Amino acid sequence: MATVIASGLSKRYDGIRALESVDISVGEGEVRGLLGPNGAGKTTLLRILLGLIAPDSGTVELLGRPLDWAHRTALEGVAGFVEEPSFYPYLSARANLEVLAELDGPRARWRIGGALELLGLGGRAEDRVGGYSSGMRQRLGIAAALTRDPRLLLLDEPATGLDPEGAREIAGLLRRVAGEGVAVLLSSHLIGELDGLCDSFSVLRAGRLVWAGSAAEMRARAQGSAYRIATSDDRRARELASDRGGMRIEPAADHGLTLIAGEEDLDEFVLALGRAGIAVRHLARAMNPLESAFFALTGPDEGDR
Amino acid sequence: MSHPGALRGAYRAERRKLVAQVSTRVLALVCGLGPFAFAAVLSGQSGVPGDTLLGAWVHGSGYAFSLVVLGFGGYLGFPVLAGALAGDILSCEDRYGTWKTILTRSGTRRQVFAGKLAAAATLAVGLLALAAVSSVLAGLLFIGDQRLVGLGGTVIGAGEALWLVLAAWLLAIPALLGFASLAVLFSAVSRNGIVGVLGPVLAALLMQLLALVGTGAWMHGALLTAAFDGWHGLLAAPRFYLPLVIESSVAVGWIAAALGASWWVVRRRDFAGPPLPRRPGWEPAARIVLGASILTVILGLVSSVGPAAVTAARLEASVQPTFGRLLVLQQRELGRTVPAGAQANLRTSCRRHSGQSSGPGDDWTCTLTIVSPRAGVEPFQLTTVTYDLSVRSNGCYRAEAPPSFVGQQLMSDAAGHNVINPLFIFYGCFDTTASPPGRPVAPAPGSTRRGSKLTGPQGRALREAEQAAGPGVVRETEESERAIERQAEGSHPAEESSRLNLGG
Repeated sequence: MATVIASGLSKRYDGIRALESVDISVGEGEVRGLLGPNGAGKTTLLRILLGLIAPDSGTVELLGRPLDWAHRTALEGVAGFVEEPSFYPYLSARANLEVLAELDGPRARWRIGGALELLGLGGRAEDRVGGYSSGMRQRLGIAAALTRDPRLLLLDEPATGLDPEGAREIAGLLRRVAGEGVAVLLSSHLIGELDGLCDSFSVLRAGRLVWAGSAAEMRARAQGSAYRIATSDDRRARELASDRGGMRIEPAADHGLTLIAGEEDLDEFVLALGRAGIAVRHLARAMNPLESAFFALTGPDEGDR
Repeated sequence: MSHPGALRGAYRAERRKLVAQVSTRVLALVCGLGPFAFAAVLSGQSGVPGDTLLGAWVHGSGYAFSLVVLGFGGYLGFPVLAGALAGDILSCEDRYGTWKTILTRSGTRRQVFAGKLAAAATLAVGLLALAAVSSVLAGLLFIGDQRLVGLGGTVIGAGEALWLVLAAWLLAIPALLGFASLAVLFSAVSRNGIVGVLGPVLAALLMQLLALVGTGAWMHGALLTAAFDGWHGLLAAPRFYLPLVIESSVAVGWIAAALGASWWVVRRRDFAGPPLPRRPGWEPAARIVLGASILTVILGLVSSVGPAAVTAARLEASVQPTFGRLLVLQQRELGRTVPAGAQANLRTSCRRHSGQSSGPGDDWTCTLTIVSPRAGVEPFQLTTVTYDLSVRSNGCYRAEAPPSFVGQQLMSDAAGHNVINPLFIFYGCFDTTASPPGRPVAPAPGSTRRGSKLTGPQGRALREAEQAAGPGVVRETEESERAIERQAEGSHPAEESSRLNLGG
């Protein structure tokens, strides 16, 4: 059963397109990654799903009920946050959750202790949130969402500020939550954060849904890893790559080139560069295959197709 | 999304947030301990805050002390309280970025807004009650439960005074909530806690400034600060209630307007819009200052529209009986026998140095002529006392005379104790909504009456008094004449006994 069915969502801010006819669905127990570069419309989509703003057009059904933004109906059982989770810095973590639980009814209050322990904040629960690191606030944001006993979790960049160990812990937690039947939709502009966590992905670019499918389909789409390469003649190196199939090459943001290719194709390309008298000055893997697939989807050429 | 107890939950959440704030705790300390500290300081010195209503009595009655604290509160304390509690209640969510946090919980925007208002109102009223209880207890502890001299010169027993003081504090609630509503509005419009907190304080100062200009009752009556004065009528003699009703209604009007506008702003606001560049912090504040300035100028320009609240006739009609009652009180304190029902035979004439005959100001002067018929050696004597008055637009005044006329601030009573001289500084209030009393007028040209008809020193004195005090004393002069004539004819014993013997 789908916990989120959104169709045809469009939203403009002062004439600027934020979302254009976006469809998305998340099934029970599914973890879906919402991917896209900054400004792709991920946060706008999450705002709409959390009932914070109404779309210009389109419909949303949450947990089988149509969402009415004016009356904020159908949001029972939905929890999450957009942008970074924010709290009252002069209150302790526990007091913050207690204040929020007041808005949700007495049962939310009972879950506070468990949620804090689950997120590893039990030992710091009485500390003022003003002294929390960014990662701890992310954890507290997830704890606050869990006190609502959600059946649908909507999280905007939940791994922001977390160290690799913390990110792994949160990923493990979200998998456990999903294992209990909770649908999770989480956004990120870094697919590497979601690798191994998500069952499926929806990729947004400039407000449009450019791809949606399972994690396996995304991997299958991947041509290979992405590499950063710098040569003695980047222009000729690009021409050489363009003449060869099975790879994609683009100028990198700072300097050098970004090359997406399988290992065998890379080997052949490097040898070809040598034969052409082009020295390789730097070569390093920048992205794994999943990341490079995401890069390919959201790169400048793909998005404009 | 909301559950049945969502509104109650929103209220509890907001109350908890407010209680946890340092500013709220400091305010609670000030309200709870401030009156004790103030009373302790006052008890260690002889000075009095005489410019404040009943301030001259702070050493004479614990109840007067509480009312003086109430007066200070109405001047600036309550707007500060309202601003500190309600001025950041919306803008703090902007500062902490928590609008989205609370609006993604089980409560509608309306419930969150209502919960915030209810929490701020509850705490504001709670702290007001704390200040009331604290000031009464401090007054009773450091000064005592002596009788209270009211705003009409009447002596109010301790039991009644306690209830009146508590009622006076209770009547400050509408104005307090009015300023809290203004704070919410400033907070909603500016999204800036500083503007929200200081806005009501500046508004109160502006209103107090406006209360000093113009003579019209309409603008003065529409000021929210006037609603802090509703209790004055309870202590006046005779008591009056219409200004209290009007001022409370005005406060309710301010509350409705400010909260209506605040809700309009909050309801329309996009709390989850795009990450637009932040508006410069000064821009909303500058708009508010500009709007307030324009409003102040407009109100200043219309300040004289409408009937005059403060007139010489109203002032005379209040000063004369108030002084008369206090004169009786003074004489009794001095151990002189004053029969029950005794009253001084007075003539009063009030005028302004500026030449105007109406409007609030510090330039009022009232000349009271005391006519004291005495059987025997001297049929009567005249004593003239001139008081300088500071009259406020709400009809309350403070009168002070040079000590050469009425003695020092403290005097020795019959038992030799130092007591407050009730005539040194006295206070009064009159009903600015009542029909203007018929002020005695000068005889029309050609009238047969042209000064006292009596001959001899008495007639000369009365005529001099008439000239000194102006035509307004004619009617009283006539009464005095009749009294003297009756005295000459053998007098009425009852009338005689009711006259005050100043020379005793």
